[in-house]
Amino acid sequence: MRLLLVEDDRLLADGLARQLEKAGFSVDTTAIAREAVVLGEQEDYRAVVLDLGLPDGSGLDVLRKWRANQINLPVLILTARGDWQDKVNGLKAGADDYLAKPFQTEELIARLNAIVRRSEGRVHSVVKAGRFELDESRQSLKLADGTEHTLTGTEFRLLRCLMSRPRHVFSKEQLMEQLYNLNDSPSENVIEAYIRRLRKLVGPDTIATRRGQGYLFNDTV
Amino acid sequence: MTLFKKPVSVKGTLLVLLLPAGIGLMALAWLVHGLLLDRMAREFVESRLKDEVAFLEHQIRESGGRIDTLQTGDYFQEVFHHAFAIQSPYRSLVSPESWTPLLMPLLQSGPDGATQVESRGNADSPSSILAYRASFRVGDTPIVVIVSEDLGALKRSQAELHAWTAIVSILLIVLLVGVIWLGITLSMRPVVTLKAALKRLQDGEISRIAVQAPEEFQPLVQQLNQLLDSLDQRLERSRDALANLSHSVKTPIAATRQILEDTSRPLDTALRQEMAARLGDIDKQLEAEMRRSRFAGPQAGKSAYPVKQARDLLWMLGRLYPEKSFELSSELMEERRWPLEEHDLNEVLGNLLDNAGKWSERTVELSLLEEDGRMIMRVEDDGSGVHSESLSSLGVRGLRLDQQTPGHGLGLAIVREITERYGGTLTFDTGARGGLRALVDIPWT
Repeated sequence: MRLLLVEDDRLLADGLARQLEKAGFSVDTTAIAREAVVLGEQEDYRAVVLDLGLPDGSGLDVLRKWRANQINLPVLILTARGDWQDKVNGLKAGADDYLAKPFQTEELIARLNAIVRRSEGRVHSVVKAGRFELDESRQSLKLADGTEHTLTGTEFRLLRCLMSRPRHVFSKEQLMEQLYNLNDSPSENVIEAYIRRLRKLVGPDTIATRRGQGYLFNDTV
Repeated sequence: MTLFKKPVSVKGTLLVLLLPAGIGLMALAWLVHGLLLDRMAREFVESRLKDEVAFLEHQIRESGGRIDTLQTGDYFQEVFHHAFAIQSPYRSLVSPESWTPLLMPLLQSGPDGATQVESRGNADSPSSILAYRASFRVGDTPIVVIVSEDLGALKRSQAELHAWTAIVSILLIVLLVGVIWLGITLSMRPVVTLKAALKRLQDGEISRIAVQAPEEFQPLVQQLNQLLDSLDQRLERSRDALANLSHSVKTPIAATRQILEDTSRPLDTALRQEMAARLGDIDKQLEAEMRRSRFAGPQAGKSAYPVKQARDLLWMLGRLYPEKSFELSSELMEERRWPLEEHDLNEVLGNLLDNAGKWSERTVELSLLEEDGRMIMRVEDDGSGVHSESLSSLGVRGLRLDQQTPGHGLGLAIVREITERYGGTLTFDTGARGGLRALVDIPWT
């Protein structure tokens, strides 16, 4: 499995490369952001370990460039900053996982294997309906003006269900199945609460109510 | 107007505003004074002329209409300083003679009462006079009497008076400016003392501002002192944190270095593990102190969007634990703000959710609500929960990391500390699905 390690601390990079090779990866190492961008675009890696603080730029910018060019290889971010906002920003930029320094090599390898496994068979799939784009791998909603909204699990499943067949009326029972992991006996009020929240994101007219029948996604609005 | 757009100094603004106003008002008063003076003088002169006409009429009636018998000559002019003219069918009398061209036309015809007569005149007669004309009959003889006064002389003395008034006005303005300046300076004195106090504060001569400020400045002084208090507290806290850190970090460093320096000692597995454990301790301490030092605590002018932040965190955890579902339950609007510092709120929500995510089977649910002026965050998971005896010790400050319930370590302690700093509480119980339920309850300040 080819792996790109982008890390500017030589001692850490050497040690890590040795350990990763022991774990069965074939590792390319670079300490420069520009080189990382090119390598990621030209070579066929299975995973990337990306340090955020690089001498010639931020790892986040490298990641954004890859994602903008449709390079969807799984990326694990390494950083010394363990702030929640940093983690959110890292994942929003397109990372698959996040590990704060210092870390144990076993954990890094376990996480790498996890994101590689997750990425297998993953295709960059997008559900489009009207002005909206639902990114399935990132579980986020993109609006026509380019703004991206993060969705919680159930919001995503409900919206995907509605957007998969625009103008089709889904009954509350059908939608309820999307909430499988909530309370043991989810009430219909829960559906209404979720629909209300989704409407705040997509606009009140986009999800229409058919009294006594259910809801539909109106992609013409 | 751009004149008052940027008040450079209070003193300057007051002067710019009050000075022209004072001068303008004074000038207005002077003008009004002039008008009134004019009117008063004229009325006074008119009534005197009328009296004199009445006196002459009385004399003429006494003498039976024979104006020859009147004691003429300069009598009237000397007594009254006025010119006069009398006309009967037999005779006309004008005194002094030089006023004849002025008064004759008026004697012939004209309205009774006061008239102002203007003439280019010659050197002897004035250019502007006020005349009072009366016509009456004595027996069958019609008689016309005119008494007149030189208005020029009157105007001259009036002008003199007016000029004096102007001088007095200017003196008053100078006085007014002085009083204004004095008033401004006096009322600005507290600011000057405040300025001096700030300077002394900066130089380190005093540690708090103890100025007897006027009412208007009291809140300012209080705010400044509060700010200084919180700065001091912060400094003290960060010093304590650094002292703690240095204590708990230096020893493991010394031990590790000792081992590395001793080249004769073989680095066996046990020793490696020992060293790694020491480094691990350093990291834990560093992490704990660093996260603590990042808390902001309640601060004026800071607020956060709870729904937006919660959504981002839930989404992020959903990406990190793809087999688990992180849900939000809230009726709050996306734009709703809470008076918490953004980083603090992230730390509270992030730690609670991360903890719940670690222990949950499939679902974590976060509820955000507002109840009677309180902000409530509830995180519930469907994991195996925590034994009821251990619930109360979760995240308790003062317990060392290794004394805390395993797995619920630092994160919950941080949540508790932040919550308490906002005057709120963190409680734990067992949720409906048997998992742990954490409740953060912060009063709205």
